[in-house]
Amino acid sequence: MTVQRAARTRWARVSFAIAAAMSVTFAPAIATASPREPSGNVVTPAAAFPVSVTSGDGTVRIPSQPTRILCLSASATQMLYALGAGKQVVGVDEYSTYPPNAPRTKFTGAETNAEDYLSLKPDLVIVAYESGKVVQQLQLLKIPALVLPPAATFADVYSQLTELGTATGHQAGARRVESSMQEHLSLAVHAAGGAGRGETYYFELDPTYYTATSKTFIGAEFSLFGMTNIANAAGRSTAYPQISAEYLLKQDPDYVFLADTVCCHQDVASFAHRPGFNALVAVQRHHVITVNDSVASQWGPHTIETFVSLLAGILHP
Amino acid sequence: MTLAVASEVGKGKVPGLFDIDGTAGLPGPAPALVPTRLRAVHVGAGLAFLLGAAIASLLIGPADLAPGAVLGEIASKLPILHVHSSLSATGAVIIWQLRMPRLVLGALVGAMLAVAGASYQGVFSNPLADPYLLGVASGAGLGATIAIVDRSDLGHLPVDPLPLAAFAGAVLAVAATFALGRSRGTERSPASLVLAGVAVAAFFTAVQTFLQQQHTPSLAVVYSWILGGLSTAGWGQVELVLPYVGAAVVVLVACRRLLDLLNVGDEEATSLGLRAERARLVIIVAATLGTAAAVAVSGLIGFVGIIVPHTIRLIAGPSYRRIIPLSLLFGAGFLVLADVLARTVLSPEEIPLGVVTAFLGAPFFLVVLRQARRLG
Repeated sequence: MTVQRAARTRWARVSFAIAAAMSVTFAPAIATASPREPSGNVVTPAAAFPVSVTSGDGTVRIPSQPTRILCLSASATQMLYALGAGKQVVGVDEYSTYPPNAPRTKFTGAETNAEDYLSLKPDLVIVAYESGKVVQQLQLLKIPALVLPPAATFADVYSQLTELGTATGHQAGARRVESSMQEHLSLAVHAAGGAGRGETYYFELDPTYYTATSKTFIGAEFSLFGMTNIANAAGRSTAYPQISAEYLLKQDPDYVFLADTVCCHQDVASFAHRPGFNALVAVQRHHVITVNDSVASQWGPHTIETFVSLLAGILHP
Repeated sequence: MTLAVASEVGKGKVPGLFDIDGTAGLPGPAPALVPTRLRAVHVGAGLAFLLGAAIASLLIGPADLAPGAVLGEIASKLPILHVHSSLSATGAVIIWQLRMPRLVLGALVGAMLAVAGASYQGVFSNPLADPYLLGVASGAGLGATIAIVDRSDLGHLPVDPLPLAAFAGAVLAVAATFALGRSRGTERSPASLVLAGVAVAAFFTAVQTFLQQQHTPSLAVVYSWILGGLSTAGWGQVELVLPYVGAAVVVLVACRRLLDLLNVGDEEATSLGLRAERARLVIIVAATLGTAAAVAVSGLIGFVGIIVPHTIRLIAGPSYRRIIPLSLLFGAGFLVLADVLARTVLSPEEIPLGVVTAFLGAPFFLVVLRQARRLG
């Protein structure tokens, strides 16, 4: 996406999508699970290469199995390690906090000069969005670059897993992660016992009432439990709309999730202190839940599974 | 256009600064003939516009409160009427804690930006001058960015540091502009001030962009602030800006005659007993402090400071004795109305207020410009 060309309005709308792509640090609360250790690590024989992977905005040809992967997307880092390509990773961006032993660098993924990355001698670069013309520059340098934009659905998550599996020679690993993720989600839904059905929720991205609708991967996680997003009516033109305090008061959701605890230091008390919010059902019933900002910006299997388990526990303690 | 005016002034013809009313090119109307007294019809129209915008802003919102019930709720708070409100408790909160402070804050910010814009245009003899000319916007932007970036490190503070940081940044930027604009001896000419303002704005923007690049996760929060808006308006913000905006507006309204005098040129103004340099300083300081306070709570809202004064010039003529008080009323009304649009066009989604004002303002400004060129 060419930021310079985008109109300011559009920039406002997409800025949250971009923020979603640039993930933030993990809260201890959701980083408790241990890194997934892939069992039965099946490596596709190198003869399967070259492969062509279609993702984001084009097809990328990868001539041989990558051994020096630079991953600048926290979500893709989680996927790579889950599907068994961790040993091929030589560097991850500073926001890739899971798994903890991933080789973190100072890169943010916002670098606009591909030359910055050359010191690691990568043979595959994975990004969540194109910063400047960096993907084009990498192509000129004969380094394949894969763009895996923010997922909007579980199907997007699974297809990114497949793409990464193909690109790294771990198709079987990708299939295994996908089915284990599906199993995890259905177990969580089962554990909730239908407790979320018909309940409404508001998911806050910042204190000016930017929010995520059902048409986002975080929204899809709530939809699993049959919960209804109060901001869907505002989501005609964007999945990350801005609503108002008044609309929130009128909708009076059953649950409130604050994902602006890191960026903007919001908590249950500061939320309840906003004018008129004391009367909200969610405040009265202690259904205001603080989560780390990253649950809305990371669509890797670890973040999704951890949040879905958390949600099941909240709905059906 | 401004140059033409300057030469006319030299010949003793005293038109207004902006000859969009067509008087400048014509053989000279004497100063006394330029209408300067406020006309009741203009003031009445301004009050009616503001009142209409205010009522719309109280009645319209995503909560669908019945207009009769809203008016009843407001009437019930008036001591004389003894009306009982039929509104629910939540409805009352929506009116008094959400819509009312949003209306008041919008009116304050709109009035401030329009009056400051008109004053800047007068002081700098430049029709393109807006309240952000001397670096207020870039300074506030940098201050806000620092607050947003650091917020994750600072932890919890008793007050929101964002508006304070934005205000401090804005004042610092303008102070830097003043310090730099002085380099040519002791005289601070409007032209060197404007150039210094451009340099300071570029520098502050560069620092802000650098910080943003270093802290990409805060990008969305910074942008949502820069685009401006009243979506989180509360009485706290009203209390925060009221002293600055109130004082600034009082000073600028009191200075409206001085602005007319400054327009005839420094030499003439001096011969009339005015210390041009000092008058200019007072006006700039007042306009800047008020604008900084407004920006601190509402973000960067563009074009209000340009389109409102220019529209008034077209309607009421070039005298600042009319432009300043009318900018106050129409600026307040315009921003309140723009905010109503910002929250209703895609309701329940909000559009950034700065987008609405620029969307309305930019085409309008081109029309004003075309008209000015034809007449000039």
